[in-house]
Amino acid sequence: MKMKYSTFSQTDNDQMREPMFFGQPVNVARYDQQKYPIFEKLIEKQLSFFWRPEEVDVSQDRIDFRNLPDHEKHIFLSNLKYQTLLDSIQGRSPNVAFLPLVSIPELETWIETWSFSETIHSRSYTHIIRNIVNDPAVVFDDIVRNQHIIERAGDISNYYDDLIQYGNLYNQFGDGSHQLNGQTVNVSLFELKKKLYLCMMSVNVLEAIRFYVSFACSFAFAERRLMEGNAKIIRLIARDEALHLTGTQHILNIMQEGEDDPQMAEVAQACRAQSVELFRHAAEQEKRWAEYLFKDGSMIGLNYNILSQYVEYITNLRMSAVGLEPIFPGASQNPIPWINAWLVSDNVQVAPQEVEVSSYLVGQIDAEVSVEDLGDFEL
Amino acid sequence: MQVFTRDTFFELGEEETLLEGLERTGHHVEYQCRSGYCGACRIKLKVGSVVYSTAPLAFVKRDEILPCCCRPAEQIVIDDVPLKSKL
Repeated sequence: MKMKYSTFSQTDNDQMREPMFFGQPVNVARYDQQKYPIFEKLIEKQLSFFWRPEEVDVSQDRIDFRNLPDHEKHIFLSNLKYQTLLDSIQGRSPNVAFLPLVSIPELETWIETWSFSETIHSRSYTHIIRNIVNDPAVVFDDIVRNQHIIERAGDISNYYDDLIQYGNLYNQFGDGSHQLNGQTVNVSLFELKKKLYLCMMSVNVLEAIRFYVSFACSFAFAERRLMEGNAKIIRLIARDEALHLTGTQHILNIMQEGEDDPQMAEVAQACRAQSVELFRHAAEQEKRWAEYLFKDGSMIGLNYNILSQYVEYITNLRMSAVGLEPIFPGASQNPIPWINAWLVSDNVQVAPQEVEVSSYLVGQIDAEVSVEDLGDFEL
Repeated sequence: MQVFTRDTFFELGEEETLLEGLERTGHHVEYQCRSGYCGACRIKLKVGSVVYSTAPLAFVKRDEILPCCCRPAEQIVIDDVPLKSKL
């Protein structure tokens, strides 16, 4: 039986021998020794990316938005609603779902750092919406009322909710068959691990496919020199998301290899078919979303067909990154190659006078002192 | 350093990353961060070996490389990077 969750477990343990998840809950937050130094590196990178939405001026976007035809207003706002939904979920769920299960400090801190950066994204959507419409509530309220958005919200949050609920049962009652409110509930660690694995896979799909569909829409406007403030913010978000995706791919691959936790490799095998279905389902759902976006008309450079091809192309790419066979045989070419120029992130320009390079915040002070520097120094 | 791809081969310039060389010679490669943390450019290395100036953050399997931040250590063969003209 697993050790119950504690915010500071007093059992002396060797953190280097704990698995990523389901070992002894983390006690000392120490980073002098690391089982997986990659998570520490991801934290450092994420911190060097730090940005604030207010740094980006979106006042021109207000004028641009007012001049958009109605069907493009629909595309832009629907896209923004979807992005708001995705980050509402990501700003809290990794913390709530994964932190109680994690057992090494560098991964614990990565999860917190990751989730925190999503809250910056959420705040940036408010920044944009506040600037382009008179009544932000009209946009925000629709997120829980719009059937097309709700449908996807369910698919994303279900994996988290399921894991959280089952994790609670496991933590409270442990392995075995239990009578709860007159119902028999079977709880097993293997099942819990499956739920974690599938949830991580679903997060991967969210970061690897769903976000990119929304990025494509944002950048399609900017390609026409419209809504450029918005695109600047989305570039910063895309830079963060690329890093989060790398984190999730690392977690999934470590799980699959089984060196960290041999049973996790079995779990990954057992979940293989379901993982493929998860990708397929999300891709189909994103295509249906594209249909909704362009229901009243396409925009220059992007329409239902192109966006659908992009969904298939990117689904294939992301599947092979986590060891799954691609499912769309024809989609080996990027139908919107211009997106890469927007996604290049090492030189994300925030304001003309300040170019933010990813290494911007580290090493910006010149600490080199030579003897000559003190040459004209007198006491 | 010579690079052999499915359709052609070329000499990589002194200052170039593998990605830059592939782009210069008209190959189609995916990219995003161009600095090793996103993994968008990952491709399979068939023959040879590469070196990274700093270890990339992105996940790379044993038979994969990230052209955006590596250079060949010897002659290499990469299979899954087509020429744009052959697409």
